[in-house]
Amino acid sequence: MWAITIVELKKKLQDKGIWFWTFILPIIFIVGFITIFSGMNEMEPEQLVTQIVPGYIIMFTFFIMISMVITFIKDRDSGMVARVASTPLPLNRFLVGKWLPFLIIVILQIIVLMLFGVLVYDLPLGDPLALMLISLILAFLATSWGMAMSLLVNTENMGIALTQVIALGGAMLGGLWMPLEIMPNSMQLIAKFLPQYWALEGFQSILQDGGHVMDIWLSLLILLGFGMIGCVISVFSYPRFLRQSRS
Amino acid sequence: MIDVRGVSKSYGSVQALNDIQFQIDEGSCFGLVGPNGAGKSTFMKILVGVLQKFDGDIQVFNKSVKQNRQAVKSFIGYVPQDICLEELLTAKDNLMYFGRLYGLSGEHLRKRIRTVLDQIGLSDKANQKITEFSGGMKRRLNIGCAILHEPSLVVLDEPTVGIDPQSRHSIFALIQQLKEMGSTVIYSSHYMEEVEQICNSVGFIDKGKLVEHGTMKHVLHKHRSASIFVSADGIGKEELSLYGDTIEKKTGFTVNCDDPLLTMGKMIEQFRQSGINPERLELSQARLEDIFFYLTGTQLRDNG
Repeated sequence: MWAITIVELKKKLQDKGIWFWTFILPIIFIVGFITIFSGMNEMEPEQLVTQIVPGYIIMFTFFIMISMVITFIKDRDSGMVARVASTPLPLNRFLVGKWLPFLIIVILQIIVLMLFGVLVYDLPLGDPLALMLISLILAFLATSWGMAMSLLVNTENMGIALTQVIALGGAMLGGLWMPLEIMPNSMQLIAKFLPQYWALEGFQSILQDGGHVMDIWLSLLILLGFGMIGCVISVFSYPRFLRQSRS
Repeated sequence: MIDVRGVSKSYGSVQALNDIQFQIDEGSCFGLVGPNGAGKSTFMKILVGVLQKFDGDIQVFNKSVKQNRQAVKSFIGYVPQDICLEELLTAKDNLMYFGRLYGLSGEHLRKRIRTVLDQIGLSDKANQKITEFSGGMKRRLNIGCAILHEPSLVVLDEPTVGIDPQSRHSIFALIQQLKEMGSTVIYSSHYMEEVEQICNSVGFIDKGKLVEHGTMKHVLHKHRSASIFVSADGIGKEELSLYGDTIEKKTGFTVNCDDPLLTMGKMIEQFRQSGINPERLELSQARLEDIFFYLTGTQLRDNG
């Protein structure tokens, strides 16, 4: 399992695309949107920062799905999946080995973007334990969905398109781009069925209201539930994915 | 012994394998031949535990592929048709990667890597990235990754596709080494002359069915018939038909007869008396490819 994790991490370190999606683009978006909205006097600066920084962190964590889809489809089509399946490595270790590097990248992404918020915009961090827990669960959720998507889709393009729908659609409907209060009631209701909404709720409770683990337990539970759904889909999709593998 | 017991596999309405049954002796080199799409790769994938849903069973050294999949995988080295290497890594890192997947570690793994690099002739390229390798070097490393854990059974699926004669020769030498070390080898190919050269038993597969199998000697003896090829000025089909069934070819005639040596003697005598000086007078044996064609009506190269 660790062999797969190490190799995958080595490959990712050499992948410039992932650095762009994970760190550079989110920073551009955060800076851009804070600059645009700070010109309007409707929000307090701290409220603006605690809306935009976690909002874009949540949105961009889902972009890891693109990298996961590309990696898995490439391995499937090159025959590498079948080759690894011919070794004694059990299925669960293969999936965990493949998943861990992406989880690590998303955790790093959250840390870097949070630090950027703290250093540049004085983002208040709140309870570190609560922040760590929600960050870990968000990373678990995004990567487990990425894994499920990678094993389900037939083509790379389909995976990238669906990721855009999940990341951008979820961001828009989940209130990551603008406060939900200014959206219609029907939209606010839809938001409650999306993990992005619950992630933002959790982050804002910690960053804005000084909430602790017990204050965000519902968000944690719902995000964990969404993440588990991704894991279950992955396990059930793997045999079909393996059948599609070359060689 | 590898005991294949009534293996069948369907993909929807397509029957990829249909009740395949045969045995392979321990330590032998078995050639599985057939055109592309015949079912060779499907069989290989079942044997190495990649395809899990199929009818029948395969016993590999007395262990069922269905019931002891993980155990069976540990003593099989699978060389897939595609080159499955991590392109961004060096040859050594690739070997390290696959060695760990087979449960090797520490000094034993490092020692095996040195030995395998030597076996595949890539010791001096150990720290080069795969992207700098030729097709033949990649093929050799592909095999190296499968033999690191010293498997009792090595399964090679079309290992010589698209490589130069030197690399092909090197791969044959490697297979010879494996045979000498006592490994059982299953070699799938649609290059019949390769199979004839390196295998001591053979199975013909076509449209999912095993149409013939046995030791190379047995199969060749059972189906091989000799003929005489004649190319000479001043002699035609009519004269040659006296010796046997004569078929006109582009550059001469093929005469099929029961006793080709005796017939050839008679021909030589007649040519001498008639003052005919043949350009070519050859005794030719049917090759494995001819036998496959005779049994299946399928020309391998047309599909390959």
